[in-house]
Amino acid sequence: MSTNISPMRHVRGFDVARPFSIGMLVIIMMPLVFLPLASIFIFGTSKGLTSFWAALTASEAIFALKLSMATSFWATMFNVIFGLFAAYVLSRYNFWGRNALIVTISLPTAIPTAVAGFALLLLWGPYGTLGRFLAPQGVQIMFTAGAIILANIFVTFPLAFGVIKPVFDTMSRSLEEASATIGATRWQTFWHVTLPSLRGAIVSGALLTFARAVGEFGSTILVSGNLAGRTQTAPLYIFAKFNEGQIEAANAIAIVLALFSFLIFSVLFFARDWLDVE
Amino acid sequence: MRKSIFNRGGFLAIGLLLLALLAGSCLPKLPAESGGANITLYGFSIMKESLEKSIYPGFSAKWKTEHGVDVRFTSSFAGSETVTNQILQGVNAEIAILSIERDAERLRQGGFVTSDWHAFPNKGIINKTPFVILVRQGNPKGIHDFPDLAKPGVRLIHPDPVSSGGAQWSVLAIYGSELVKSEKQTGEPDQSHALQTLRAIWHNVISTPGSAREARTQFETGFGDALVTYELEGLLMKQSGTPVEIIVPQATIFSEHPAVVIDRNVSAAKRPIVDAFMQYLWSEESQRGFVKYHFYSITNNALSEENKEFGHIDLPFTIDYFGGWGKAYPQVIERIFRDQVQRRK
Repeated sequence: MSTNISPMRHVRGFDVARPFSIGMLVIIMMPLVFLPLASIFIFGTSKGLTSFWAALTASEAIFALKLSMATSFWATMFNVIFGLFAAYVLSRYNFWGRNALIVTISLPTAIPTAVAGFALLLLWGPYGTLGRFLAPQGVQIMFTAGAIILANIFVTFPLAFGVIKPVFDTMSRSLEEASATIGATRWQTFWHVTLPSLRGAIVSGALLTFARAVGEFGSTILVSGNLAGRTQTAPLYIFAKFNEGQIEAANAIAIVLALFSFLIFSVLFFARDWLDVE
Repeated sequence: MRKSIFNRGGFLAIGLLLLALLAGSCLPKLPAESGGANITLYGFSIMKESLEKSIYPGFSAKWKTEHGVDVRFTSSFAGSETVTNQILQGVNAEIAILSIERDAERLRQGGFVTSDWHAFPNKGIINKTPFVILVRQGNPKGIHDFPDLAKPGVRLIHPDPVSSGGAQWSVLAIYGSELVKSEKQTGEPDQSHALQTLRAIWHNVISTPGSAREARTQFETGFGDALVTYELEGLLMKQSGTPVEIIVPQATIFSEHPAVVIDRNVSAAKRPIVDAFMQYLWSEESQRGFVKYHFYSITNNALSEENKEFGHIDLPFTIDYFGGWGKAYPQVIERIFRDQVQRRK
């Protein structure tokens, strides 16, 4: 029998690298991801389900969750539509400053969220560069739900755009050109030819944006005024409860947010077959 | 062949998701404001319990019987400096209760407070509490006074003096306590010894959270061996069953907390109820409420004696020992603490 190790060994027969690498993957993810997630669930329900439910149904908690959902929804709507528009323009047209514009759109992710919030305050706050002209008119954007939406738009700005633009870039123009040759208007071409190819990117971009917006904290805490029952989003609520020492209440809402994100990414994952275009 | 965008199953799923999102897209209703008055109060972190459980209900009941109108309170609590910064940035606070008078001064300089809070009873101070050391049950590290915090192996949680008023009181408590003790012994306050003690203690600080309340939460979740904080925090912790012991230092400072009206944000229509609330803070009912939540009364020492849990302090002092915040801040917090302790860690 040959004492050489066959060079084909790694594709036939028992390959030790397989269980080893899978094992390593799980082991590495344990302390970094699995265990922190698990500890939220374990701690949140440690005082029993009645206390968990009470924490969940507190009126301020429900308000915080609803506010998070609503503000994230509107920020997502705006960023998806704008992302679509920006991806179209920046992919189809070439002009001086195009690359700079693309980079600028991606900037918000590099900026610490607290800086983003602070910048918005400096601009729109009642003593801010623009805000000081609006304040005497009674228009006050900061410290309202509108401010939260603005902050969410800023920090999630490039997400939908970043998912949609590559699809535009790699899209074959021939179908659009064919559509134009048979007399379709620009809008008809967009709606019937271009858009269907983008639906996967639009949906995943929207879900990404939404999930990110729901979890946003650093900018929201600055621009919202953090008033419980008025302008406090779910992440702010968790933070406030933690500071008050009500760890169980904080955990209950943290579990809700964690489950929600899990749901969103599951939809993304399992619907990918439907989303993919042949 | 290209899939139709109207593929049944996927369409249904996305449709449902959209419906759910649309349902959630309506901004939640703010609490109904019709037919009632609302006061917006921003307070420093440890004010929460006494205000929400005792002062607000007391005042609402009183106002309702006198004027037949419901009063609601909107509050936000954070470290004293943070609260001040929020107000300076334009949050719509009508009343602010702060930990240190310096923050009230900052609001005055920013033009937000135009009336003089010293005109109120007790120069605008609504309550006070001494600074103590909290340790784990059984006092395993054997801490009996501030200098013991400098022992090797002691891990101290101390809020950040930049954002927390309580942290500044704590620094003054530690530094001042050494001055007072040395003065009692030799007739002269020993500044270099006080500085050395402060430095040695700061060496043991393992965490500087943003407010006194945050520091307490960290300590409660098992972090650190000791915490220098308002006595009331320790009493509240004991009340909720946390296994802590309160170590009362021989000499310590009484922190005094001012309440101010943010004149810029109070409309003429709201003025009467805001002023009434301010006056209420010094009423016996309110002071009793503060004592119940472990603050010392500022108006009547007899009321403070009703709280049997307060520790006895041999050598108490106040900010006046330093000549007021006007001197204490630049001389102690800036020149001594920031320049000689924090930076040389």
